Parts: sequence; C-alpha cells; structure tokens
Amino acid sequence: MSTTPRAQSSKGMNNIVVFVLLFVFVVGAILVIRKFLNPAPDISFAPYGDPYSSKTDFAQVEYQFPLTAEQRMKLTPKNIQKFDQEQVDQIYARLTAGPIPDGPHDGDLFFPKGITGRARLAEILGKVKGLAAGLELEKLTILGRALWKGKVFYRDQRVLRNRIDHLELLAEFFPNPAEEAKVREISANGKTDQLYFPAKLYCGQSLMDSRRESIIIDYAFTDEIEGYHEIPDKLAGREGFLIRDEVRMVRPGFYLGRAYMGDGFLLNFTVYNDAAAKAGSDAFAKTGKPAAEDCWVGPQKLAANQ
Amino acid sequence: MKYVIRLGLSIASATLLTAATDTYKGSQCEDPKLSPAQQAGCKIWFYATAGNGRFHTYVLPQRLPVLLNWYRVLNSRERPDRFGAWGIINDPDCCTPGAKGCARKSLAETYGMDYCPGDDELLKYVGKAGYRDPACDFQDAPADPKDPHKGQRESNCSLEFGTSSGAMGIRKFPNPRFDPEKWRKLNGGSENWNGFTALVKPDTFHSKLRDASIEPPFYFGMSCGACHIAFDPLNPPKDAANPKQENLKGAIGNQYTNVTAIMASGEATNSPLWRIFNYVRAGTVDTSAFPHDFTGNPGTPNAIINFDKRPDFADEDLVKWYKADHCASGADPKTCWCEPGRNNKCWERRHKLASDPMDPNSPVKHILKGAEDSVGLLEAIQRVYINIGSCSEPCWLNHLTNFFVVDPAQRGFGQTPFNIGQCRRDCPNFRAIEDRLPEIGAFLVSQRPTDLYAARGLKSNDELAAQLDKEFGVGSVKQGQQIFADNCARCHSSQKPDASGSFANVDFRAADSNGMRVDFLSNDQAQQVSSIGTNRSRALHSNHMQGRVWEEYGSITMRSRPPDPNIPDPSDGGRGYYRSTTLLSAWAQAPFMHNNAIGPEICGKPKNKTNDFYYSPYVDANDKPLPNPPPCWAYDPSVAGRFKLFKASMDELLTPPEKRPRKVTLLNEDIVIEAGPKIWDPIAKKQVILRIAIPAGTPQAKVGNLLYKQIIDDLTLSVTNFEALKTKLKDEQAAKEVRGMVDEFVGSIDAPMRVLDKHDRLITKYYMTSTDFWENAGHPFGTGLSDREKKALTAFVATL
Repeated sequence: MSTTPRAQSSKGMNNIVVFVLLFVFVVGAILVIRKFLNPAPDISFAPYGDPYSSKTDFAQVEYQFPLTAEQRMKLTPKNIQKFDQEQVDQIYARLTAGPIPDGPHDGDLFFPKGITGRARLAEILGKVKGLAAGLELEKLTILGRALWKGKVFYRDQRVLRNRIDHLELLAEFFPNPAEEAKVREISANGKTDQLYFPAKLYCGQSLMDSRRESIIIDYAFTDEIEGYHEIPDKLAGREGFLIRDEVRMVRPGFYLGRAYMGDGFLLNFTVYNDAAAKAGSDAFAKTGKPAAEDCWVGPQKLAANQ
Repeated sequence: MKYVIRLGLSIASATLLTAATDTYKGSQCEDPKLSPAQQAGCKIWFYATAGNGRFHTYVLPQRLPVLLNWYRVLNSRERPDRFGAWGIINDPDCCTPGAKGCARKSLAETYGMDYCPGDDELLKYVGKAGYRDPACDFQDAPADPKDPHKGQRESNCSLEFGTSSGAMGIRKFPNPRFDPEKWRKLNGGSENWNGFTALVKPDTFHSKLRDASIEPPFYFGMSCGACHIAFDPLNPPKDAANPKQENLKGAIGNQYTNVTAIMASGEATNSPLWRIFNYVRAGTVDTSAFPHDFTGNPGTPNAIINFDKRPDFADEDLVKWYKADHCASGADPKTCWCEPGRNNKCWERRHKLASDPMDPNSPVKHILKGAEDSVGLLEAIQRVYINIGSCSEPCWLNHLTNFFVVDPAQRGFGQTPFNIGQCRRDCPNFRAIEDRLPEIGAFLVSQRPTDLYAARGLKSNDELAAQLDKEFGVGSVKQGQQIFADNCARCHSSQKPDASGSFANVDFRAADSNGMRVDFLSNDQAQQVSSIGTNRSRALHSNHMQGRVWEEYGSITMRSRPPDPNIPDPSDGGRGYYRSTTLLSAWAQAPFMHNNAIGPEICGKPKNKTNDFYYSPYVDANDKPLPNPPPCWAYDPSVAGRFKLFKASMDELLTPPEKRPRKVTLLNEDIVIEAGPKIWDPIAKKQVILRIAIPAGTPQAKVGNLLYKQIIDDLTLSVTNFEALKTKLKDEQAAKEVRGMVDEFVGSIDAPMRVLDKHDRLITKYYMTSTDFWENAGHPFGTGLSDREKKALTAFVATL
C-alpha cells in the first residue's frame, strides 16, 4: 500500500491538530464556567460506563426512563450543557423531531464532555513537533462561538440560514472577502446578524439514534440554495467541511442539535426561539406532545403514544 | 401450529415428487400441490419486505452511508440487460411501458420503471398518503389448534408486499413524501432519474444521490426472494431475460445474483464503500456487509432442499424465546412478555434444559456456513428478515458498527447485541413475520432436490446412469459410488455407516415410504476450518459471538467451540468452523465452495459495459494478475450449461490446490479515501485534505479485513497507557512496535498506508480478522485419486 497526497501540506495537517487541541481547550473553559451557573435538572439516566458496550440501548433507555413533559420543560439551553455527553445523548434519544421550526432562533454550542477519546486522540496528535507554536486560540475560539449566533429556519421553503456576526473576523480565512455582494440580514431582539451558510432542511436519519427521524440541516448542496455565496458558504458544503446538523425538539421553541463534520460527530448545539417557547409551552406542559410531528417518529414512540 | 411444518411436509411429499413431470404453469405460490400453509409461506417468502423499503430509501444512503441507484438497476429500458448486469430475474408479469402488449404506453407514467400487476392502484398514491398495501388482503393459513397464541397474529398489512418492481424479490411502494413538480424540474421530466442520479464534484462525493432532501417516487424493498428465487434447474427458461413463472423456484438460491453490487450501485467503483459492499463474485453475497464485522466473507445463498432430512442438533445448549400463554405475575418483561391488547399472547425467554425436548416447531439445524444460526430453524428465518433491513430503524442500526466512530467510548464504535424481545415489542413488522414463521418454514421444508435425470427428461436415475456411463466410461457411476462411500460420505451423508464405519452399503439415494430421499448428503457437523483448508474468511465471520449483533441467534454450544489451533487468525468465541455442505443436486450448484470460487468464474456480460463488474481474480504464484487469465463463463442456466459447469468445477475441485489456477481478488483500481474534513490553511491560503490511495493490485481482503479502529485505539493506548497495551497484546515487543508507529505516523502523517506496509507482520498478526486471501484453496479430498477414479466420482455425484 502507498499514499498519494493531493494538495496537502504539513502546515495544513498541523491545522487539523490545532483544531483538535482547540476543542479540548474550549470544552474545559466552557464547562468550568457553566458548572456553577446552571444546575442540571433532575433527569433519570440508564447506567453506563466508559466503553461503548456498557451503554444501554436507547430503546431500553426510553422504555425504562421516559422523559416527562415536566422534565423537558425544565431543560434550558444553558442547563443542558451541564450534562456529560452520554447524558446528552440519552436526552436526545428520548426526544422526537417535533415540528420543523420557523423563523430566527438563538444558538449556542457546547462540546462533548466526558468523552476520553477525543482527549486521547489529541494527545497523540499533540506529539507532532511544533504544533503548539502558532496557536491562534483567540481567533479560532471566535470561529467556534462568537461567530455563530443562531439559525433562521425558513420552514415553508425547507431552507435554513445561519446567523453570523463579525464576518470580518474570518478575513484571514478567505482570499478576498471584499468580493462579497449583497448579504441577507436579519434583525432579532434588537440585533442584526448576517445570514450565511444556507442549508437544506428535511426529515432524515439521525446518525446517532436510528429509531426515529430527526430534522436534518444539510449543507452538502448549499450551492443550490438562493443567496449562496461561495465565500464563505462553500466552507460548510461538500467541498468544505461537509457539515450536517440534526435537531430534535426538547420543548416548543427549544431544539437540541448535533453537528457532524464528514460524518464524524463534532459538537452539540441548541437553538431557541423565545416567542415560540412562550406560545407553545402551556399546551406542551399539559399533553407532553409537540404541536406536530413533521417527521417519522418510529413505532416505539407510536406505540407509547397510543 | 405445532405440526404445521411436518404436516405440510407430508402433504408435499405426496405431491411434489411428481413435480419433474407435472410442472405447474403459474407462480409457484399458487401451485395447488402446496398446502394452504405452504402457499401462505411461499407468498411471504416471495413478496414480504416487512418494512425494509425505508431501509433502502433512507437508512442505506444517509446512515451507513451507501448509495443505491435504483434507477440504474431497475430502469425499464434496460430490462433485457438486468440479468447479465445484476443477476436479476425479471418478473414475467411485468412489462416495459410502450412495449407491445403493455398496458402503459409511456415510461413517464411509471417514472421509468416496469409496469406490474397492482400498479394502477399504486401509481395513484405516488406523492400521497393512504395507500392500502396488497398484504392487507393476504389470506393467512388456518392456525394450528394447538398454537399457544391461538392464532393471534400481527396485522398482515405489516408484511408490506407492495407491487413488483419488475425484478423478482424487489418490491416497490409509493412514496407519500414525493413531490412531482420538484422531481420533474430536477430530472427534466418523469421518465428518467437522470438529475437525481447525476454525478457531482468533488469526485469522492460522487453523486447527487447524496442529496437526501429529494424524495424519489418509490421506496424499494427486498423480500427473501431477491436472493433465493432462481431458475428451476428442472425447467430453465429458454431466454434468461424473459423467463416464465413456471421457470422460477423460490428456494433454490440465485446462483447469478450480484445483490451487493445492487446495494452499492450508486457508489464510485474507487470508493471504499463500493469495495466493502461489492467484495464478491457472482452468486454470492456478504451478509455481514451491513452488520459489518470487518471480515469480507461473501457466501452463496444456500439451496433450501430436503430440509426435513437435514440433521437436527437436539443437544445444542441455548437460550431462546418460547411461545407461552401466560407470564407469571410481576414477571420481568426481559424474560416473559405478553403483547398488550392481546389475549395471552406471550413469550418466555429461558435457558433450554437438558431435559427439554427439542422444540418441534423450530428444530435446531446448522443453517449458516459455520453453523452460526443455531437456536432454531424459525429463528434463523426471522434473522434473515432483519439482516435485509426489516425493523432496521427501531431495532437494528443502533447495534451496528459506525464506520466513522473511532473512539471506543462512543456508541457505534463496535457492535452490541440485537435484542429480540425489544424488537418484538417495538416493531410490528417483526411480529408480522414472527407470527407466520411456521408457514414460511412449511414452504421451505417442502422443497425437494432437483434430479439430473428429471431435468434431462429421463424416466429414472438408472437411465441417467446409463448416459453417464456412456460419457465417463463403462461402470463409472457404480465405481463412483464406491469412491464416494470411501472418501466423501463421512462428511457428505446424513446416514449412518455400518458397524465397521463403512458407507459401502449405504444407498445415498434411498427414499422413505413417501418416496422422499432420506439422505441430506451432509452430516452438517461443524469442523475446524484448518481441517478443510478452504478460504477461511467466512468461517471467521464473527457476528454471532458474545457481545456481537447476532449473539441471541447463536447457541452456547456454538460459542463454546474451541479455537482452531492451526490458523494464525483469531478464532475464539465459536469462530473458525465450516459445516459440511450438502451435495444434493450438486450438478446444478456449481461453481463450488461457500464462495463459488472452485470452478470457472462466471459472468453476465451485460450489453451496458458500465454494469459489467467482472474482472479476473486469477493470479500467479506471487499474487500478480495473470496477463492472459482464463476467460469467464457466461451465465447459462440451461440443463446442459449447468452440467458443463459442474464438470469443470468437479475437475478443479479434484485438482490438488497448489495446481489449481490460483485466485486472489486484487483491487483493479486505486481506492481513494479522503480522511477527515478539508481544512483551510490560512498560511498557504488554500484548503488541504488528507487523501489516501490504496493502490490497485492490493488484495481486496487486505482492505476489507483490516481492523483500522483497533489500530487507532492501540496507537492511542501506546501513548496514554503503555502497560495496558502490553497486557492487551501480551507481547512487549509488539507494544513497542505500535508505540514506534506513532512517531512514524507523525513523521509522515500524509502517508499512513506506507507505515502500515512497513509493519505488515504486526498488522497481519494483530489487526486483521482474516489473513487468508487465496479464494480457491483447500478441500484436498479426492485430489489423490486417479484420473479414472475422478471421472467415476464426477459421474456419481451428478446422480445425487
């Protein structure tokens, strides 16, 4: 066997490692701060250990520990970050897609907590000489958190765009941002964001829990969507990071998401719309059921609802 | 229901004996010689998808993710070429719109597909909800009065028949999410799928099929018949592309199927997924491609004949679910569960005791090549439905390996056991099949051998023997019988030898009082693979081991088999065995061995060369491709064609392995893997990507059998906990070598395969499931016979 590299450079590979190291750093920083600010609600979880084989099958998790409407109503975009990754996964698996959201949603992201593998992999990659040099943590952190402000769902068009602030911080990553033509903007809560990274919106397979569909936010064919700007939108598409998100509804107006990069799990995120939350909460608290299920809920949930 | 199988069998025995001379002219399932239970079972076998249409439409491309291009496989324009390309058997009841006699005149009416019975109704619901599946009108056979469940069955609608796709065993369903306007805009009309299947950049992304926001007009599902329906050796079609119903039989096993190529038909041929899923030769399928175990092990669909005479294994130690009419109050639903809304329709899971009689409904037989499906015949049938995608979403996929998870702490790193109780509880399709397994079993055990004498239109086997003696030499058949008794019957007979251990006086064609042959022509005993010597990858299949996906379908006895001490690869947990195969109707089953590798290569030679997947596996002693390999033999299901292939295959089988034309499938083009995402390099001002190419000429099994996740994990462990790695590998030097590889990877991070090559010995010892790449090796039995004796043996086996 041999290898035929194409257009790669050791600097480029170093950047992969920088990325991984950055994730570890950001996870630590975020979690330490939030640990004290947002206590986690009382939710039951199936027992689990470190190896994959020790984790209880999601079907059994849901059968034994169904999430109640009361528990879901207590979850917030902040306190859900309190849980470790397996707990987040068990919460996600007990949700359904609910209705495909509409309108602007505030976003937040959080990296996996309690997964040793990423840290271990980073340790390996961290052996590359000189990788620590040139770390531009501040800029890369901005990429991950300060840049992304949320999502705007265009439910009727089955399209989504991301709310981006301070695109100029990406200037170093793009040859000529001045080429940018008209950019969509949206104002919400007294703040204006630019809209980039359009994606297709549909019901599809969850890459973690197969038992029911999730709402998929797919950037692979971002170039087919009206308002596409090659710079920077291509970055998320099939010639870029190949990003694919999936979300399920925690409660009205509040969705928990998972972002994938090239089919590999990257991070968790939440999107939240306060108006939708207020409008739908009373009914949800009473029934425990979403206003609609736009996606396939699978037979286990169907049977449970009967 | 207790005696449905055996009762059905006795009915069949009195009727099917005349099948050779009294061929029913319609569909096999309508044959009045079948009992009602057998007819019902036949229809389920032929038509039921049990919900796997969603698997092929959504799960396969999005979750696994493997692209299946149904238009490439089933478009009606290429109906005449399907058999050659994919081994598909065309449904005689379907037609190409616009063809003479076809009720539909335009391909746009059927979205480019065949027009089949039931489509007038089905086509009304493309893009709409409310379709009533034809399975809802399926007539169940009367329940056995002794059935503990009193005939309570899941709704027959959940069998999900749909209508024919035009290919036997592939069924179609209207997609209610389909948007006709969007579709027409994408494809420039409705008569083709060209926009939906278009190629896109970059090359490794390959196809517009990955755009899951687009809903196709149909779901396509598969029944068991997709691999098992075959041309009747007794009554083959005059034109293989245009068979008639009477040419088809449901349990023979399609010897020409290329079903894994169908599954990956939307992938580029240089993609790793194409190689993983299309790692086969014609007539075989790797049934652990989806429940992947990193062991490329394609095998033939077994011919299901004379199953009632197949040996039972009453002493097999096992745990399984048994039908019950109640559960004790407060019983744990993991061990006893009653279906809600039913009248005492319960199941009890328990350990079989030595004092237990074998379940007469579901005798334990050694079904798979390594005898892995070993808790009961009916459970073995049910497992096949799951393995072809039924209940994949609610029950199966969360237990499978995810190719992209390399962290052993994350779900999906490896398999976990499929849970029968959970699936029964959560998936109506599972219950719909399970509640009708006795009928399916009744159909399957009614299938009889296909005798060459009958295929040739002769009155008796004696007449055949006379013909064979004329061809192979006077007295050949009689002499061959003695050679068989002395050299083969020890494994290839289910009858007992005399007190001295001799089979000399055994009549291998003996019949019982009903005229049914009593010999299964295999003892079905599992033997260590080294004692047989054939390619061992299939024997090392690991999905029935403890902790793996099919754990609940394997017996404790099976998993307790000792490892094979004479092979270098891991063979614990029950791996490393083959059971003897039956030689019933061997004349119609060539090429030979579990992987069809002993005998001439066969190929379909389709007119559309982009669908010609054959390439030569013939290599020299150094495993380099032969410049002028033997040509492949074109598919020929005629009696003469099968017999010619049988003779050539017997000739190779009886040739010493080292003198056979050696076969090792090599990559015929580079495999391209893009590892990780594209990264923007702000210094070089360009995106960079790690692109790995595995070069043409690499043994395909070397790729498919590589435990790459274990390599990554051990590389990590060598840094984080070297002592743990030493303990794991039980070899300090090996652990040090792994540790050294870390630095080598770091030093040449863009060329990882070069590092693997350098450490080939370490890789083959610790990180491959099977290091056997020689496909037509082994089974040296009989190779020492004289030429005359070999001819005689060939003549006799032809009579079996």
